[in-house]
Amino acid sequence: MTELNPNPLNLVLMGGSSGSFVIFEQIVKLATRPLSCAVIFVIHRGKSSLANLPHLFKAKTKVRMEEPEHLDPVVNDCIYFAVPDYHLLVGPDARFYLDDTDKDFFSRPSIDATFISAAQSGIKIRAAMLFSGASKDGASGLKLIAEKGFATYVQNPDFAEVPRMPAEAISQYGGHQILNEKNIFEEISSVLYSYST
Amino acid sequence: MVLLEYKELELLITRVREISGFDFSGYARPSLLRRASRYLTKHTMNLPELYIHIEQGGKAVYDFIQEMTVNYSEMFRDPDFFISVRSEILTYLESYPAIRLWIAGCASGEEAFSMAILLKEAGLFDRSLIYATDLSERVLSSAREGVFSLGHMRTFSENYMLAEGKNSLSDYYHVAYSKAVMDHNLRKNIVFSLHDLTGDGVFNEFQMVSCRNVMIYFNLEQRRKVFKLLYESLGMFGFLCLGKRETLRYSGFEENFRIINGHLNIYQKIK
Repeated sequence: MTELNPNPLNLVLMGGSSGSFVIFEQIVKLATRPLSCAVIFVIHRGKSSLANLPHLFKAKTKVRMEEPEHLDPVVNDCIYFAVPDYHLLVGPDARFYLDDTDKDFFSRPSIDATFISAAQSGIKIRAAMLFSGASKDGASGLKLIAEKGFATYVQNPDFAEVPRMPAEAISQYGGHQILNEKNIFEEISSVLYSYST
Repeated sequence: MVLLEYKELELLITRVREISGFDFSGYARPSLLRRASRYLTKHTMNLPELYIHIEQGGKAVYDFIQEMTVNYSEMFRDPDFFISVRSEILTYLESYPAIRLWIAGCASGEEAFSMAILLKEAGLFDRSLIYATDLSERVLSSAREGVFSLGHMRTFSENYMLAEGKNSLSDYYHVAYSKAVMDHNLRKNIVFSLHDLTGDGVFNEFQMVSCRNVMIYFNLEQRRKVFKLLYESLGMFGFLCLGKRETLRYSGFEENFRIINGHLNIYQKIK
């Protein structure tokens, strides 16, 4: 019956590492109105990181923010942050699954884990984006999402604080759209608030 | 990277059950999919090759099951959890003449040894019995040996210090053949035994059950069943400890426990 739902679940995925935190903060600020998508942020952080990102970003947006638990449903109009020390997977039943298998590229949460699970879930992905970072994590997940026909974006490595992560994504797949410094936030805002999906 | 599809995973689950009797049906699919894909990548196999491999039955299929279910563990993982156990649970259990603890899903024994050390430092070890269970005989036999790689001991020692241990972790092991061998004294009150949370039932009554980072292996329905088992295994006012990111949400037992520590997911059975 999802056809009848005026607003079916769709995902916007954001991955980043070193140098991405400030970008994520800006993106959260863009969420000034209710969102017709679920936004999932995966940023590398140490397992003992106590920073509660929803709490940290509380003043930046009125949209609901969560660090999802195992089996929490994924819903539109919510911004999610992967918790430290677990991979955050998206299931075909539109629930989150926490996973503590090995690290990818020395990272748990890993961006690939979330991106690949979302790509395989059958849930519509409105867009997936990869930003600044020092590892190769995220590149193969982003490629898989692109190959499934969903929109993918990569921060231009030339203006990324740490270019390795976006550069790796581009070297693995040439078809990602590039986010340039002058209009990155306009582009992301238009993705967040595009209803023509 | 070899990726499996969900449809392929379901067929694989059925085949593994037919060959080995082991039933993955209550396990969280997204996690199994990730694990199966990683298994294939690691062993440079494709799916048909995996089938040929597990059709051999015996060790081949058990090794596969083992890799699909093995959980990651550290001694004193989440040091603040151990601080809380010491201050909020052990002080309560002090008045008990005998203390029975269950470490459910103990893997290679890291948490069981951590708990033994904690009890020892609280002066409670001699009247405690720790049941540490897992579904894999292989990890249990490694747990029984109490041998850990020295590389890991560095992390474990850091955790121990952060958990405000009274001594040095090295007081509890000696080094032999470049491995850390845990003190045999600690093994004395630990019983390692086979128990499958998805198939086996209640086997004792406990004052504390620690089942950390195990619930994330299960789907919604299986998780409820496991919660029921843990609930029934606890005596009244017994403590239930879950992983740092695991709560009672969706368990069906939210009303039967009070929160002892909401941040670390420590609960006490109250009805």
